This record gives sequence, C-alpha cells and structure tokens, in this order.
Amino acid sequence: MSFPDAASVALRDSQLRRNLAKATGTIRAKRASVVGELPDWQELRSAGRALKDRSLVDLDAQLELLEERVSAAGGQVHWANEADEACSIVAGVARAHGVDEVVKVKSIATDEIKLNEALAAAGVQAVETDLAELIIQLGDDVQSHILVPAIHKNRAEIRDLFARSLDLPDLSDEPEALAEAARVHLRRKFLSARMGVSGANFAVAETGTVCVFESEGNGRMCTTLPEVLVTVMGVEKLVRSWQDMEVFLQLLPRSSTGERMNPYTSFWTGVRPGDGPQEFHLVLLDNGRTGVLADQVGRQALRCIRCSACLNVCPVYSRVGGHAYESVYPGPIGAILTPQLHGMSEGRSLPYASSLCGACYEVCPVEIDIPRVLVHLRGRVVDTEPAWKPEKAAMRAMYRAFASRRSFERAQRAARLGSRPLARRGRIPRLPWPLSGWTETRDLPEPPAETFRDWWRRERGEGRARDEKPVDGEIGGKRGPRDLGAAATPDAAAAPRATSQNGDARRAMLGRIRQALADRPAPVEVPREYRRRSERSRPEIVDLFAERAGEYRATVRRAAPQELRQALTELCRHRGARRLTVPADLPPQWRPDGVELVPDTGLLPNDLDTLDGALTGCALAIAETGTIVLDGGFAQGRRALTLVPDYHLCVVSEDSIADLVPEAVERLEAAVAEGRPLTFISGPSATSDIELNRVEGVHGPRTLHVVIAG
Amino acid sequence: MRVSLFVTCFNDTLFPQTGRAVVRLLERLGCEVDFPLEQTCCGQMHMNSGYAREATALVRRFARVFEGAEAVVCPSASCAGMLRHQLGTDADPPTPPVYELSELIVDRLGVEDVGAYFPHRVTFHPTCHSLRELGVGDRPLRLLEAVRGIELVQLPQADECCGFGGTFAVKNAEVSSAMVADKVRAVLDTGAEVVCAADNSCLMQIGGALSRQRTGVRTLHLAEVLAS
Repeated sequence: MSFPDAASVALRDSQLRRNLAKATGTIRAKRASVVGELPDWQELRSAGRALKDRSLVDLDAQLELLEERVSAAGGQVHWANEADEACSIVAGVARAHGVDEVVKVKSIATDEIKLNEALAAAGVQAVETDLAELIIQLGDDVQSHILVPAIHKNRAEIRDLFARSLDLPDLSDEPEALAEAARVHLRRKFLSARMGVSGANFAVAETGTVCVFESEGNGRMCTTLPEVLVTVMGVEKLVRSWQDMEVFLQLLPRSSTGERMNPYTSFWTGVRPGDGPQEFHLVLLDNGRTGVLADQVGRQALRCIRCSACLNVCPVYSRVGGHAYESVYPGPIGAILTPQLHGMSEGRSLPYASSLCGACYEVCPVEIDIPRVLVHLRGRVVDTEPAWKPEKAAMRAMYRAFASRRSFERAQRAARLGSRPLARRGRIPRLPWPLSGWTETRDLPEPPAETFRDWWRRERGEGRARDEKPVDGEIGGKRGPRDLGAAATPDAAAAPRATSQNGDARRAMLGRIRQALADRPAPVEVPREYRRRSERSRPEIVDLFAERAGEYRATVRRAAPQELRQALTELCRHRGARRLTVPADLPPQWRPDGVELVPDTGLLPNDLDTLDGALTGCALAIAETGTIVLDGGFAQGRRALTLVPDYHLCVVSEDSIADLVPEAVERLEAAVAEGRPLTFISGPSATSDIELNRVEGVHGPRTLHVVIAG
Repeated sequence: MRVSLFVTCFNDTLFPQTGRAVVRLLERLGCEVDFPLEQTCCGQMHMNSGYAREATALVRRFARVFEGAEAVVCPSASCAGMLRHQLGTDADPPTPPVYELSELIVDRLGVEDVGAYFPHRVTFHPTCHSLRELGVGDRPLRLLEAVRGIELVQLPQADECCGFGGTFAVKNAEVSSAMVADKVRAVLDTGAEVVCAADNSCLMQIGGALSRQRTGVRTLHLAEVLAS
C-alpha cells in the first residue's frame, strides 16, 4: 500500500489518533524539559554528529578493529551480508547449544531481518521480553514506534490481550497490574533461559565493548543470565573510542525517553570469566547499509541512534502512527531509511510523507538533515520514473513557464483564464483530479484579475525596473539542463551481494564499504565544546546526586562513616529484608545487624531469586543524572547479584560522585580497558510502555536504596 | 537604501496585494524599491519535488536577475529560505543578500515600530520555514507588537506545521487536511478575527480551510498588517 492509502486507513481510526496524540505529546514535553536543562545541548549534538561521521568515513578499518578486540576478549564475530545470513548464524548458535527457546531484548535490527520468524522455522521460539514487544508478540501485532512499539494500544486493549493470552481473566487495567503480570510471566523464562539474543545501541571499536540501553531490566536479564549471548548489530552502530560514550550517554536518553538517564545501561566486552554469558557472538549486519553509505547525501541517515525523537515531533507521524510507514523504521527517519535500505524499490511514496516542516531536524541528536535527505530521495524517485508520468509532464511545463519572463506572464494569464469557470465568488470550491485532494477540505482563492507585475507596470511603468539584460535562453532546452547538480546515486539494490560463507561475507562487506567510500570523505574533526569539567563545589555535587537519584524514586540516605552500619541496618529493617546476598569482598563495617548475609559463591539465578535483596558498593556515581555505576570492582560482585533479587541496597562513597557524565566516563576508562562489564543504574527498573505511565519495577529490582557514605 | 523586491511567482499571481503592501511599507520606511520584471520563480517547488536540476537552474536565473542588488527582500519565508540555502553553495554569479521581510526591517533598517495602525484581534502563525529554516525568531512578533490598536493573541501550538508543504497538500491530502484541521481549531480557540503569517502559502492552506468552514476569520500577510 502506498503511504497516502495506509495513512488514510490510520486517520479513520479515532482511538488510534487519540492514543497517538496523547503519547507523542507526553514524550515531547518530557524531552523538551530534560533537553532544556542542559546548557550545552547544541554542543553535544554537534559532537554526536561528528563522532558518528568519524566512524562512518572510516568504517572498514573500524569494523576490523572491533572484530579484533571482540575476538581478543573471547567473543566470536560474524559477518552477514543480508537478513537470511544473519538469521542462519543465530539459528546455528541455537542449534549448537541444543536450545529451543531464546530470550530476546527489544531490537529493531532483529525485527528488520525477521529473526523471530526465521528462528521459529528452525524450531526455536524467540520470547520477546520488553513489555511493549511482548504486547506486540502476544497480539500478533506490528510495532508502531521505535521506542514505544505498542504506542497505539491503550490499557484496556492491553488488559484484554493479557487476560486472553496469559490466562488471567481477573486482571485489572491498572498499568502496575499489567506490568506485574508481565514480570511474573517472564521471570520463569529468564531464570531458565540458556540463550539470549540482543541488538546493540553502540559498539566501541577500540575496546570491543557493546552496549544496550533499556529501562525494564529485561536487557540485563537477557545479556547476563544465559550461558550464551548473540548480539546482532547494524554496522553503523560503531563508534571509535570509549570516550565517545560521554556524548551518547547524554544524547540518547534525553532524546529518547525524555529522561536524564534511562534506568539501565549495560556495557560488556567479549566474555568475562565467572560473570555473565561464557559464550558471546557478535553478528555484524549489512542488509543494505553499505548501499546507504554509498549515497553522499543519504549516508547521514546512518548516524541515527534510534532515539525516536523525530517521530514524536513529526506532525505526520503523530497523526497517522507507525503502521502507515509499513516498515520497522517508521516516522521521518523511516521515510529516509526504508527506501534507502531496500534500494528505492520499496517505500517509494515515503519520501513524500512529509511537509518538510523541519521539526525532525531540529530535535535530531546527531543533526541528520532529514528534510534535505527526503528531498534528495524524491529526486531519486523522479530519476527512475518514466517520462510520461503526469507529474513529470507538469513539472516540465512549469519549468518552461519559469524559464523566461514572457512564458511566465503567459502562464499567469492562462491560470487566470483557466480558473474563471471554476470560481464562485472569489473562491474555487472544487478542482479536477489530481488537484481534487486540495478542494476536499479547502477552498482555493481565485487568481485576481491584476497580477502584481501588472500593477507595478501600471503604477511605475516598465522604466522603473533596473537595467536588465534578458536572461532567457540561459537555461537549457525542454527538459532542463541535465548536467547541473547531477550526482551519482548508486542504488543499494544494484550493488553486488555475496551470499556465501563467513569469510566471503567479511570480504564482500568490507569491499562494498570501500567502494561506498570511494569519494574519500574528509576525516572528521570532533568539536568538544560541551562541558567536560564540573563547576560545582563538592557539597553541591553530593546534594545534586541525592536530589536527582531521589527523583527516580530511589530512596537516598546520607551517613557519616560511624553511622553507616546503623543506616544500613535501619534500611534493611524498614524494607523487611532478612537475607541479602553480598559480594565476597564486602567490607566488615558495611554488615547490617540482624540480617543474614549470603556471600556470592556462584549462586544460580534460582538461588538469587529466593533472597530478599543484594547489598553492594559501586564504582562511582553521577550527580547530574542521579546514576550509580557498577564495574564489577571492589565490593560489587557479579552483575547477576544486583539484578535478580527484588531489592538493591547500594553504598556510594561520597568522594566517588562525579558531577558530569564525561567525568564519569573518563574515570571508567581503565575498567573498560580491562574488559570489565559496566552497569549504569538510574533508579529502580521501570517501564512506560502502557500509555506512557511510568511503572516502577519490572524485571530488575523494584526498590533501590542508596546510602551516601561521607 | 535601495531594495529589490522578489515578490515570488506565487504572490505575483495569487496574492498581488502582498507585493503592493511590501512596496508601500518599505517606501514609507524610506527605501527605494525596485522590481526586476525578469523575475519568475526561485525553484522551490521543483527542488522540494525532487527536480533538483531544474531548481538549480532557476536559482541561477534568480541570481542573474538580481545580480548586483544591494538587498533583496522576499515576502515569503520558504522562498527566502530556499534561496539562502541554494545561493549559499553557489558563488557564480555573486550571490545577492536575500532577506525575509521581517529580517530586512529589523536587522537592516533597524526598525521595530513601522508606524502601522491595525485595530483588530490578530493571532500569528510563525511558519516552519521562518522558525526552523531561516531562524527569524521573534522578529515578526516584535514588529506586530509595535502596531497601534492591535490586540495580539498567542496561537496555541504555534510552531506546529499547518500541513501545507507544497505538493504534500495534494499528494497526502488527507494527512494535510488533518493537520490544518488542528491548526484551524487552534486559530478559532484564540477568538482572533485575523490570522497573520509571513508566508502566503501557509495562509492559503489555513485560509482555505477557514473559508470552507465559513468561519469568517480572515488571513493576512504580515506585510499587509504592517502597511496598514
């Protein structure tokens, strides 16, 4: 179906339009507020754009570096030319481990390649674990938003679906109850899962580190608990250095969910002995991306970090929703990605699905000039359209009219005469096809008897005009000068595709990348004019951390060194926690009274699930975002400890609190270089997938207590 | 100051009163206005429809027609935006400086009170290209605020697109109609008698729906309010 036809169906669904208007309006306001509080947002955007461009212009070398580093850290790297290849790699891993069920983190790349269907055909069931994706999967539905895939469903519709498919006839439609139903249903799956599948938000070439940003904790579950993990990532997800994350850790959450930081971000590097999956596969996916890279204007679409800010501000998307785009990539970014990825044969009407209002470009955190790319792609559509098309003929005629003063004035007279029979009292109420779409809902003014130039000549005469040399004839013949601005725009579909063994795929992909970059784009300078050093005093930083962590509904307490044990004891008593798991190196002065501490000696997920909580320290905290970061170092233990039990009690040493994200990223550099996994935690796990109501606690700990130790 | 008027093909044919208002206004502010009769179109329609070669040729034609102009004024934010972007990348022939009307008055002439009198309730639609392509900011509002007798009322969701978008209004007529329906509702909520904007293409869209619904609300280009 073309976009206008699909949009027409969507526009008639008044429930959908209400859900969409409410949802997009809510996220827009949240985004505007958290973006507005940063004084250096524009500087971060410029840096984000440059960082993505920097890796794109050097993509072949950077991918080879990533491959080397992931392999050195114990991971296995696969190259996939296209969807089928990627799917069979994942299915092959499942077969090798004899699993018939995998748990999955929300990933658009895997939706793009239809991985779930391919796995089902291979006898493996993929269980979607993101709440919205679960809603989609249970309802046999299609995603309509990048970030909130079930944005088109309201709570009553979700209740009915869960009541039916999870056999819970008495379920209420409160978001808390719906989230709890999903938690119970999925927890069994997580605790027994042997294989996890994820996408990646970013991959850092220099360190071989891959990451997933999420909210509910299902991403942590899938990337931490199973014995084997497969991550499928588009090749454009690459960034060069760990330091680059100081920018994207700010751009993505604020643009995406409209939060200072999303509840959980997990970074891992290959395999960490004794912590998390002991087998890791990274699938590097092309599937049309090298074709996008070859288009000098269109390649900026590969900067996209899938935040979905452009969807929420788009006046078209917010009225018709995602389904009208008929792609896993909806909205303005979808309108430029879908036709490029699929070689302009699909989605030919998508570049026209925009009024070019520019709202998308204004919010894009990596400055993708979406209107410019849309216009460019319209040109690619026009170039492949036959000359007899009525629009082409009309555009040629208009061009000829504009080519000289005489022909323009003739056309003005024709317009006036032609419209006269259609006009009623100065208005044109009905036009013939193809212009009838205008007059369905709008009148058109009748061209007045006197044009502006007629008036000018009457009032001022020809003589007042400046000395003019006639410029007619400088424009080429009937079809216009075809040499002007002509740029080669290779079609992705036309690019050669190898479908063969992995070594061949690797060679073919790298070859296509080099070919795509044959124009040798200049090396990119990264402007780093955003804030990198705090200007706040130490007490201000500590206060800010306490305030911001508290805003996520984490309970925050402060304690002087001699009060620490007392504070921990009180919090445990208040919580009713009697058995806590702790890392083996927990300092003795952190041991609360009256609580049984179970040191982690390789507890299984099911064992952890029977405990009341976990007590750990952390590597550092970030004041501006209210985040704590664990790196598996001193007093922190394995990732599973702070994930499976329902309660996390965390000690933050006052002097470990950084003010800004870049300061924290700098301090974490050594841990990343050593290959230690990182977990960024901002408040308890949460979801906003049901009508964008925030519900605390889905799969990760539902309660987070933080003690700031002075 | 000598100002060359690029009235745009659209205004020339459909909204000549806007061009006349620009001439009256600028002459009142002491400018000498000329109108090169060779001018036709900036190429925006071709550019936005995917006919870049034709558009580029029309931009070059524009540059030749206005070669040597001290300042070009254009009472259409989207045409001014188109020209500024396309001329910016093409230095042959030398590019004349193109101003949207409010930019010329506020920045080049240094005037905010143009001496207008307009005793009506007016709401202002800022238009996407004024806001996001040209970045004219609050210049038009500053000019309107100085108009005597005017009662300016804030338009809700003012920065949202009206749904015109050139051929978009026809190719995606239903979505475009849904967008203008919301804009019309916002206009009616203000109780204004007049909707004002710096681009007649948006006003044709909003005005077309206002007229079809027999609301009695008029549309007026910024130049016409300022020239009153």
